[in-house]
Amino acid sequence: MKMPRSLTKLSFVVLALALAVSIPAQEGHPLKGSWIGVWEGNTVLGNDILMILGWDGKAVTGTINPGTDNIKVENATLDPAGWKVHLEGDAKDKAGKSTRYVIDGAIQQLEMANRSITGTWKAGAAKGKFEVHRQ
Amino acid sequence: MTNTSNRILTAGVLGLALLVGGTTAWAHHEIAAKFDVSKSTTLTGVVTDVDWRNPHVHVFMNVTTNRQALNWAVELESPSLLEMDGWSRDSLRPGDKVTVKGPRARDNSRQVWGGNDFRFVNTGLPVFPEKPKLPRNSSVSRPAPLWPDGHPALGALPGTSDGFWSDPDKTGLVEDGVTARMSEFGLLANLADAAKVAPMQPWALGLYQNRQNRQLRDDPMYVNCKPPGGPRMYQSRLGVQLIEDRERKRVFVLMGSGNHNYRIIYLDGRKQVGLQGGDDDNPLYFGRSVGNWEGKTLVVDTKDFNEDFWFTNGGLPHTDQLHLIERFTRTDFDTLRYEVTVDDPGAYTRKWSASWTLKWDGGGTLPSHFCQNNRQ
Repeated sequence: MKMPRSLTKLSFVVLALALAVSIPAQEGHPLKGSWIGVWEGNTVLGNDILMILGWDGKAVTGTINPGTDNIKVENATLDPAGWKVHLEGDAKDKAGKSTRYVIDGAIQQLEMANRSITGTWKAGAAKGKFEVHRQ
Repeated sequence: MTNTSNRILTAGVLGLALLVGGTTAWAHHEIAAKFDVSKSTTLTGVVTDVDWRNPHVHVFMNVTTNRQALNWAVELESPSLLEMDGWSRDSLRPGDKVTVKGPRARDNSRQVWGGNDFRFVNTGLPVFPEKPKLPRNSSVSRPAPLWPDGHPALGALPGTSDGFWSDPDKTGLVEDGVTARMSEFGLLANLADAAKVAPMQPWALGLYQNRQNRQLRDDPMYVNCKPPGGPRMYQSRLGVQLIEDRERKRVFVLMGSGNHNYRIIYLDGRKQVGLQGGDDDNPLYFGRSVGNWEGKTLVVDTKDFNEDFWFTNGGLPHTDQLHLIERFTRTDFDTLRYEVTVDDPGAYTRKWSASWTLKWDGGGTLPSHFCQNNRQ
């Protein structure tokens, strides 16, 4: 029995939905955890980043790691009104020159364990889209 | 391919879609998450079937309107909770003519929440008579049973009738002295009361409001069968049983809620370095508890909780800095006073306390409620 194309498509959609089901869980501070994603268009450090954030009860701490050199997170804030996120950190290029990176975004799907932060990054005149997902 | 085959395939695919999309919705839930409590519907009809199973019992009934009979589903609590209230699978049978009043499903499907207002049409009598409440503040107070060393027994003494603690007079964690009405599941009647419930940091208040706004549908105790760690276990109608292993100087707390979990409180003077050797880097749902007697009160110090659960009905946030001081006092034979001080500088601006009482259900058996049976 051959399945019609429309049903095949529907099956794939359903399968994709099954695989994409978000994990409903939100416990502890919303920024705490490991995040993986991209800062698009970063020609100096590359697109891919891994971010580890913590919460000590007073401040968001952590590192942004575009490769082997961790960038210490500074001046991090989380505003519950809209769950807006602000992160800063200094990164060095290959010549050793330090550049301040500024990330502004918002948490999406707060209630999910695999929530995301989407927004923008800036470093001097360079800027681009920022998107990381909690692991 | 024939039309019939097409229909079978489509039904199969859509069935899978419903299964995927409905995973959370089928779990046990706060009533308001599924039903609009502001819209009440009254149905009168004939019972066609009773589906007595977790997570919720459903009674199906044919309701005739304008000469057209439609089948409705009346959703009730889980079997274990209904049985606690004196209901059974035989309380209603197909053919019974009944009337029910309750809130309708938010998605406008033919479902209502049955609650307790379920009556036989012929007699007007309730199908499920309300079980008498355990006496509270009885004028005839019996003294708490004592062990030979003078400590009050937290459970039943050997050779006496068994029992457990249930019927908490508060089912939501609220700082002492604060009034904030909420449902049995901790859903606030007025969201504006959120900031009063406890001295939360801004992020914790925002998260608490988010959980409340979502009618607690993300509660990991129901969605993922996570244990009811912290004070939550003492705010369940399903109760707790305290078993004192005096020879080994420890107290087991068996839970009727959650997944029939248990917690151990050590009274042998050990440090809070792990319930079992080697788990120091593995914080737990119940933390690490050590206790000692201060007069007639068992004082328990617990820390090293993980963050993977809600420690209260209603979803007050906590962090892994949570430190609890709990005080258990059997003030008389039938009353257990529970007091808890919450110290979590990760989520709250200061220490705060709450207290309530539970009643002794003498001769009763702790309900065997398994969350995993609530997942289908």
